[in-house]
Amino acid sequence: MTRRLDPLRLASWGTSFLVGGFFALMLMLFVLQSLPVFFNEGVGYVTGKVWHFRAETFGVLPMIYGTLAVSAIALLLAGPIAIGAALFTSEVLSSRKRLWIKVPIELLAGVPSVVYGLLGIFLLRGWIYQLLEPFDPLSGDTLLTAGVLLAVMVLPTVMTLSDDALRSVPASQRRAARGLGLTVSQTAHRVSLPQAAPGIVAALLLALGRALGETIAVFLVVGRQDNQWPETFFSLRPLVEAGQTLTSKLGGSETFLAYGDPLHWAAMIGLALVLLILVATLTLIGGRFTTAKITSGKQP
Amino acid sequence: MSRLLDRIFRVVTGACAFGACALFLGIAGTILVKGLPAIDWQFLLLGPGEQFGSGGILYQTLGTLILVATALAVSAPLAIGLSLIQTTYLDSVRAKRRLRLAIYTANGVPSILFGIFGLILFGQLLGWGKSWLAGGLVLGAMILPTLTVALVERIEALPTKYLAAAAAAGLNRSQIVRSVILPQTRGGLLAGALLGLARAAGETAPIMFTAAVFSGATLPSGIRESPIVALPYHIFVLAQDSFNPAAHSQMWGAAAVLLGLVVLLSLLALPARLRSAEEAHHG
Repeated sequence: MTRRLDPLRLASWGTSFLVGGFFALMLMLFVLQSLPVFFNEGVGYVTGKVWHFRAETFGVLPMIYGTLAVSAIALLLAGPIAIGAALFTSEVLSSRKRLWIKVPIELLAGVPSVVYGLLGIFLLRGWIYQLLEPFDPLSGDTLLTAGVLLAVMVLPTVMTLSDDALRSVPASQRRAARGLGLTVSQTAHRVSLPQAAPGIVAALLLALGRALGETIAVFLVVGRQDNQWPETFFSLRPLVEAGQTLTSKLGGSETFLAYGDPLHWAAMIGLALVLLILVATLTLIGGRFTTAKITSGKQP
Repeated sequence: MSRLLDRIFRVVTGACAFGACALFLGIAGTILVKGLPAIDWQFLLLGPGEQFGSGGILYQTLGTLILVATALAVSAPLAIGLSLIQTTYLDSVRAKRRLRLAIYTANGVPSILFGIFGLILFGQLLGWGKSWLAGGLVLGAMILPTLTVALVERIEALPTKYLAAAAAAGLNRSQIVRSVILPQTRGGLLAGALLGLARAAGETAPIMFTAAVFSGATLPSGIRESPIVALPYHIFVLAQDSFNPAAHSQMWGAAAVLLGLVVLLSLLALPARLRSAEEAHHG
């Protein structure tokens, strides 16, 4: 009886419904406001390769490609280094020395994306241009530049979460492996890595989600060239050209430009919806890995 | 043979770790080298000058502080409520798992989407135009899942004997929350709040459509059409005008101030975070 009138309990439920309502409203408005473009373009909105708002043609595929390309570059570059660093902190270092690595990495995770963008413009862009000189690039603003910048940005995420996953493997198992005569690297390979694998996959998926959604840093170095659909996927050439991602499009001035025109506006909000679906799907898949770990792997 | 492999393993993983650390030092070093020469008392305590990109960044700094304070004030109570539902008030394992998945999904929502949503909700539907309050609310929504996850993890790391003892003493759940959970997790709340502040302070995408303008605003006085200037958006605009050398010193100076603010907040949050991580490891 008294339970029902308990103010703390009521307040907690109240706030939770408020928060749930907020996020539900977000999804609902994205769906509602992008409906016109789906009526107009149909599936062509997602599969179309041309975006010309003056001709009222809205195809998102090149931007999905741009988003996936920069994110893939980021993960390919950051993944191995981050997992290597996590192996070093969890398997090689003693717990006191570990801090000397973990603290700078935690701080790296906190660097604002606009600061990364700034360094991208003033340093990375020039470096990439010089690196690509033999291929005669138009500028240093390329998908590759954005991918490299994103790699630095997601590195702390992968590293910290992989380190957490590796360290959740009980120390007693490591001691047992070492006692059996396995070296540190053999212990990592045979004992720690197999058990931490789901956690590491989850870390990579989370980082992928971050990379897909990063706006400001990508916006500043990706070139923002519309309709860059590669003629062939068997060449790296398109990666060293300017491109456009879902986020760099959304973050640009076209969002304001579209404000008065219902169809154009719907096309822009459609980008938000596509991005939300992409990221949410990834997070949900990643969540499967972590919850599987939580429910099955936690033995004393 | 295995000895050699072991040595290679140590060297390669060590190189990865030190390389990652060097990245942070390189980034912080570059910003400081370029930004510190621009920083003096006038830069910190004066408003904008006559020309584009001249003068001080007082209002940008104040604007950022107003935005993050609003965000924290909104999200902290909500995060406490949500984390109590997740850890204490929900009984069914299934509902708990679903809520956890929902919180993690919300945590993954890209910041630009909060900006777009804020533009629709506050700018379009409520007719606020650009408003500091819209920016603060949007940032609050953005850091809410982070804060909630930090709190949930902290509460779950509490030794079960505390809760068992409180329950054995005949306390009901809300009494346990008040007398055990909230006092014992104050450190976690503080760390989560500081991290949330650090994240909110550096974000550009959520405020660019909802709250921030480049110039012409000082301190907000109302809600409707009451935009604000803020450090990250300021840097963002100056960075795009990268061929104007006059604005460079202000841009790097502002970046150094922003980075300093964020690093300070993260460092303050660090002890509590590391402690909880160690406890979870040995617990």
